[in-house]
Amino acid sequence: MNDSLLVLSIASAVVASTPILFAALGEIIANRSGVMNLGVEGMMLVGAVVGFWAGNETGSLTLALLAGGFGGAGLALIHALLAVTLRVDQTVSGLSLVIVGGGFSSFIGTSGEPSLLSAPNAVDVVPFFPEALRDLPAVGPILFGHDVVVYLGVVAVIAATWILNRTPSGLSLRAVGEDPAAADAAGIPVVRMRYLATAIGGIGAGIGGAYLTIAIVGTWQNGLTAGIGWIAVALVILAGWRPWLALIGALAFGGLNGLGFTLQLAQVDVPSDFLKMMPFIAAYLVVIAVSGNPARARRLAAPAALAQPYAREAR
Amino acid sequence: MTSLIRVEPRGHAGSWVRFGVPALALLFALALGGGILAIAGNNPFEAYRTMFDASLNGWSAMSRTLALATPLILTGLAAAVAFQMRVYNIGGEGQLYLGAIAASWVGLYLPETTPMVLMLGAMLIAGALAGAFWALLAAIPKAYFNADEIITTLMLNFVALSLMNYLIFGSQSFWRDPRRPVPGGKRLPENAILPSLSGRLHFGIIIAVVAAVVLWWILRRTSWGFQIRTIGDSPRAASYAGMSVKLKTLGVLAVSGALAAIAGVSEVSGVSKGLEPRAIATEIGFTGIIIAVVARSNPLGVVPVAVFLAAIATAGSRLQSIGIAVEVVFLLQGLIFLTVTAGEFFVSNRVRFERTAEAEQPGDSSPTTELPAGAT
Amino acid sequence: MTTEPIHLEVRSITKSFYGVAAIDSVDFDLRGGEIHGLLGENGAGKSTLCSVLSGLYRPDSGSVSIDGHELQFRSPQDAASAGIGMVYQHFRLVDSFTVAQNIVLGLRKGQRPKSIRQVETMVSDLADEYGLHVDPTAPIWQLSVGEQQRVEILKQLFRGAKILILDEPTAVLAPQETDRLFEAVETMVAKEHAVVLVSHKMAETMANTDRITVLQRGRNAGSVRTGDTGPADVARMMFGDAKAAERTTIAGPDEVGDPVLTLSNVSVLADKGMTAVDDVSLTVRRGEVVGIAGVAGNGQRELQEAIAGLRPTTSGTIDINGTDCTSTGPKGTMRAGLAYVPEDRLGVGLAPGLPLEHNIALKNHDRAPHSRKGILSTSSIEETTNRLVEDFDVRGNRKGMRVSLMSGGNLQKAILARELTEAHDVLLAAAPTRGLDMAAAAAVRTHIINERADDRGVLVFSEDLDEVIHMSDVVLVMFKGRIVGRFVRDEIDVDRIGLLMTGSQDEEAPADASEASIVLADRVDNERPAAETPPSTIAGAAS
Repeated sequence: MNDSLLVLSIASAVVASTPILFAALGEIIANRSGVMNLGVEGMMLVGAVVGFWAGNETGSLTLALLAGGFGGAGLALIHALLAVTLRVDQTVSGLSLVIVGGGFSSFIGTSGEPSLLSAPNAVDVVPFFPEALRDLPAVGPILFGHDVVVYLGVVAVIAATWILNRTPSGLSLRAVGEDPAAADAAGIPVVRMRYLATAIGGIGAGIGGAYLTIAIVGTWQNGLTAGIGWIAVALVILAGWRPWLALIGALAFGGLNGLGFTLQLAQVDVPSDFLKMMPFIAAYLVVIAVSGNPARARRLAAPAALAQPYAREAR
Repeated sequence: MTSLIRVEPRGHAGSWVRFGVPALALLFALALGGGILAIAGNNPFEAYRTMFDASLNGWSAMSRTLALATPLILTGLAAAVAFQMRVYNIGGEGQLYLGAIAASWVGLYLPETTPMVLMLGAMLIAGALAGAFWALLAAIPKAYFNADEIITTLMLNFVALSLMNYLIFGSQSFWRDPRRPVPGGKRLPENAILPSLSGRLHFGIIIAVVAAVVLWWILRRTSWGFQIRTIGDSPRAASYAGMSVKLKTLGVLAVSGALAAIAGVSEVSGVSKGLEPRAIATEIGFTGIIIAVVARSNPLGVVPVAVFLAAIATAGSRLQSIGIAVEVVFLLQGLIFLTVTAGEFFVSNRVRFERTAEAEQPGDSSPTTELPAGAT
Repeated sequence: MTTEPIHLEVRSITKSFYGVAAIDSVDFDLRGGEIHGLLGENGAGKSTLCSVLSGLYRPDSGSVSIDGHELQFRSPQDAASAGIGMVYQHFRLVDSFTVAQNIVLGLRKGQRPKSIRQVETMVSDLADEYGLHVDPTAPIWQLSVGEQQRVEILKQLFRGAKILILDEPTAVLAPQETDRLFEAVETMVAKEHAVVLVSHKMAETMANTDRITVLQRGRNAGSVRTGDTGPADVARMMFGDAKAAERTTIAGPDEVGDPVLTLSNVSVLADKGMTAVDDVSLTVRRGEVVGIAGVAGNGQRELQEAIAGLRPTTSGTIDINGTDCTSTGPKGTMRAGLAYVPEDRLGVGLAPGLPLEHNIALKNHDRAPHSRKGILSTSSIEETTNRLVEDFDVRGNRKGMRVSLMSGGNLQKAILARELTEAHDVLLAAAPTRGLDMAAAAAVRTHIINERADDRGVLVFSEDLDEVIHMSDVVLVMFKGRIVGRFVRDEIDVDRIGLLMTGSQDEEAPADASEASIVLADRVDNERPAAETPPSTIAGAAS
C-alpha cells in the first residue's frame, strides 16, 4: 500500500512543496512590511548555488541551508538598499534581482575547476522520523517519511503566524506595511523594519533554493529553479498574505507535477503544461476578483502600503 | 535615518546630472564586475577588452550586437510606452510569446507562394494583434476593476510560456515538426523569413528603430500622446480635463502588448525561423522593462540602452575563449541595471553631507498636503 | 507627582528651508494648566514651530527647554519622552488595526502592558477619565473622524504626554464633536496638562484659550492673555494692519441676467458611500457671484465635483447654460460652458510633473489651433502660453520646468489663465485663494469678480467667510451636505451665517424644512425681484 501511486505522489508533493513554502513565507514577511520583492527567483538561485557549494564543501545539511539563506539575504539586502533607501521602483528592482541572481548563480556555478556543474551531491538527506513510523500504512510515507526541513517548514508557518499576529514585533511589522507614516509617528523604525523583513524574505528564498538543489534535484544546473520563485510570488497573492494559507497552497502546487503523472497513468489526459499554468491563472483570477469587490478586498487584499516607498518628508 | 546626510529633492536636474549620474553608475557597475572577475582569477582589463572587440569593434561585431538588440529595443519600447502613462506592463515576456505563436502560425498556414511582403505583413499584424489581446487580458480588469496590472501581466507571462511549451513539447500541434526527433517547431518557409541585412542581422532592426522613432513622435506630437503623458503624471488632472483614463489604459496596454509581440515576430521570423520555445524564452521581455527604466521611458533612449546591453550579451561567447564563463555577461547586465536604477535616486534628489540630520521639507508649501477634503 | 505644573520655553528658534526662514527667532511660552492658542495665517510658521516642538525638525538655532532643562530632540520619540505629544491634522493611525493596537503601537518593552486585553481596559479607563469615549476594540476604519481624533489624543495621553499640541483640531469636526473636544481639553487642563491649540480661526481661539501667541510671516507678532484682548487686536497681529480685518464688499451690478447654472435637488455620494450632498438646489445667473460658505468637509468638494461632471449624482439635475449636464462627464460640462478652478491645484487642476505649456493646453490641446487631426501644434501651444503668462502675470516659469516648482499664487494664476481664456459662461471656483499670499489672493479675487462684469455667472466655494462675503452677491451656507441658508448681499448677517455654518441653528427647524424654505423663498423674492424661483435651497434657515 505504501508503494501505491497515490501515496507516493502525495509524499513527493509534500517534498516538492517545501522550497515553494519557504520562499513564499519569506515573501509574505517582506510584503507585510510593505516591500514587494519580485526577485524571489533570483534569490532562490543564489541560495541554491551557495547552498549546494557549502553542502559540497562541508557535507552538512544545516550549513548548506544556512549558507543558502545567507546568499538569498545578501541579494535581498541589495533590493532593500535600492527599494527602501534609494526608493527605486520596487518592481524594477525586483526584476533586476532576477537577472542578477540568474547571472551570479550561473557564473559561480560554472566557474571554478572543477565547476559545480559536475559536482555530485555531498549532503546526505535522511528522514527525520524512525522507521517504525515511516512504515505505517499511507500516513507513514506521507506524514513521517520526510527529512527535517519539511517539518521545519511547518514550524516556520506556525512561527510566522504567531509572530505576525500575536507579538508586538509583528504588530509593528504590519503597521509598517499598512501605513508607514503612522508607524513612523509611533516611533517604529520603518527603514530598519523593512530591511529586516526584506532580509528575512531573502533567507526564506535562499533556504528554499538550497533545499531544492540538495534534497530534490541533487545536482547543480544553471537556472534550476525553473520558475519555482515565480510560483511562490503567485502563491503569496493567492494566500492573501497569510502563512497557513501559503502552506496549503504550496502543497497543492507542489503536487502539480506529480498530479500530471498520476492523471496520465489514470488515462486522464490533462497536459502537464496546463497544470503548470494553474498557479498563475489562479493568482490572475484572484487579483481580479478581489479588485472588483471592496468587501473581499478588505479581507484578502495586499498590505495597504505594499510597494510604496516611504520617505518622512513625503507626507 | 543616518545622521550627517541630508537628502532633498532636486527641483530641476541639469543635463550633466541626468546623463552624468547614469554614466558614473555604469562605470561603477563595470568596476564591480571587474572586481568579481579579479576575485574569480581573471584579468578584468583583458576581459573588457575582449568584450569590446567582440561586440562593438568593427561591423561584423556590431551587426551581431544589433541582431541581439532588435528584440530588446521592441520590448523596451513596449514597457516605455506603458510607463509613460505610469502603467506597468510586466507582461512583455508573455506578449512576446503570443506574437511568436501567432506569427509562426500565419507563416506556416499561408501558402508558400504568398508574396513575401504580404506574408511578413500578415505575420506582423497577426503577431501584434495576439500581443495586444494578451495585454488586454490585463488591461480590461485594470480599466474596469482597477486590478493591479503588475500582478496580472506578470502572471499571464507564465500562462503564455506554458502554452508555448505545450504547442511544441506537450503535443503534436500544428506548430511542431513531427519529423524532428527532438521536439521543435516547423521551419518557416523562405517568404516568411525577415531578410538578412548582414550575417545574423535582419530586417527586424529597421522595424525596431522605426518603431522607436514613430512612438517618440506619437508621444510628443499627437493629442493621444499628450493625454497619455497627462494621465501618467496625474490621472486626476486628466479626468478633470475630460480625458478618459479607462480608454487610454486599454489603448496604451494594447500598443504595449503589440510592440512586445512584434519582438516575438522578429525572433521567430528573423532568428529561430520557427517556433522554438528554448530560443525565444530568454527573458527578453523582463530585460525590456529595465531597459525602459534606464532610458527613462524615452523611446529614443531605449535604442542606445538596448544596443549597449546587447553588446555585453554578444561578448559572452568570446569570453569563453579566454577562459571566462559566458554567464558573467548576465551578471554584468544585472549589476548595470542595479547601479543605474539606483542612480536615478541621485538624479532626482540632491544628497549633501552636513551637520543637520533629517530629510526635511517645509510642511505648508503644497496645497495637496492640506486637510483631507471629504474626510467625513 | 509633580508639584509644579510643566513649563515649556522656546527661545528664539529659527528654522530655514532652502535658505528661507520659515520661522525666525520665535519665542513661545507654555505652562501646565493652560490652553494656549497659536494663531496665524497659512504659511505664518505655525506648523514649522510645531514640527520643531514635536521633534520632527531640528531648529537651526535657538533653544527648547522644559522646566528649565534645555532639550535636544533628535526624533519625535525624544519629544514624546519629554512629554510632548502632537496630534496632527492627518491622523497617524493604521486603518486596519484596532484602537488598542494603534495605541500600543511602537511602545518599547517596558512601556507596554502585557496583553492587549490589559491595554483595552487601560484605554477605557483613560477614555472615561478624560471624556474621550471610544471603543478600544473597534478597527479604526469603522470610526468617525471625531472618534479617530480621540484615539490620537488618547494615544498621546497613554504615552504620558503632559503637553498636547493639537494642529487645527476642529477643521475636520462636526460642531457637536468640536464641543466634546473642548470639554475633553478642559479636563486635560484641569489635570495640569498644557494644550496648544493651533488654528487660523479667530473666533474659536478667542473662545477656548487662556493665552494666544500670534505668528506672522515666521515671526512673533505678539502674545496676549485672551481675556485682556479683543478680536480686532488679534486680527491686527495676524494680518499686520487693521485693514485686513474689516469686511468690505464690492458693489455688484444692478441687473442680473438669465440663469447659467441651475441645480435641482442634487444628491451626491462621498467616496465611502455616505450621502455627501443632500438635495441641493441653487441657481447662478449671469452677472452674479454666488458664494458658498461652509466649514470644510460639509459636502463642498463632492458638490463641486458633481457640477464639474467628475462625480455622479444620485438624484436631481444639473443644468449649465440650458444644457442638461447631469451625466455628461467633465467633457460635457466644459462644452456647455463651465470653467472650473478646483480646490486642489496640484492634484487636480494641474499635472504637477509636466511643464507649464502642457498645463495651459490641458483642456484644449485636442482642438484647433492646438491640434489638427490629432497632431499637436507645439508652436501654437507655446504662443498661447507666452501670451497668457504675460496677461495673467504668471511668474517663476522656466522652459521645460515642471509646474510643481512654481509658487501657489502663480499656479493659481496659471489655472485661471487657462480657464478664463477659454469660452465659458459660468465659473466654478473652489477655495480660490487658499494658501496664497495677500497680493496673489487679491489678484485672484479681482479676476473672479471681473467675470461678473463680463456678464458671466460665478459660483465660488470658500472656507474663508470674509472672502465669501467680500465677493458674493448671494451667500449660501452649506452644512452637512445641505444648503441651510441664503443671504442676499444687503441683508448679510455675519453672525447668523457663522451659526449656520457650525450647524448651531440646524436643530431648530429640522422637520418642516420644506415649509421653512418656502417662507424664506417668498421673502427673498419680495426683496429681490430678479431672483425668482429660488429654489428649495434654504432648508432650515428660517426661524
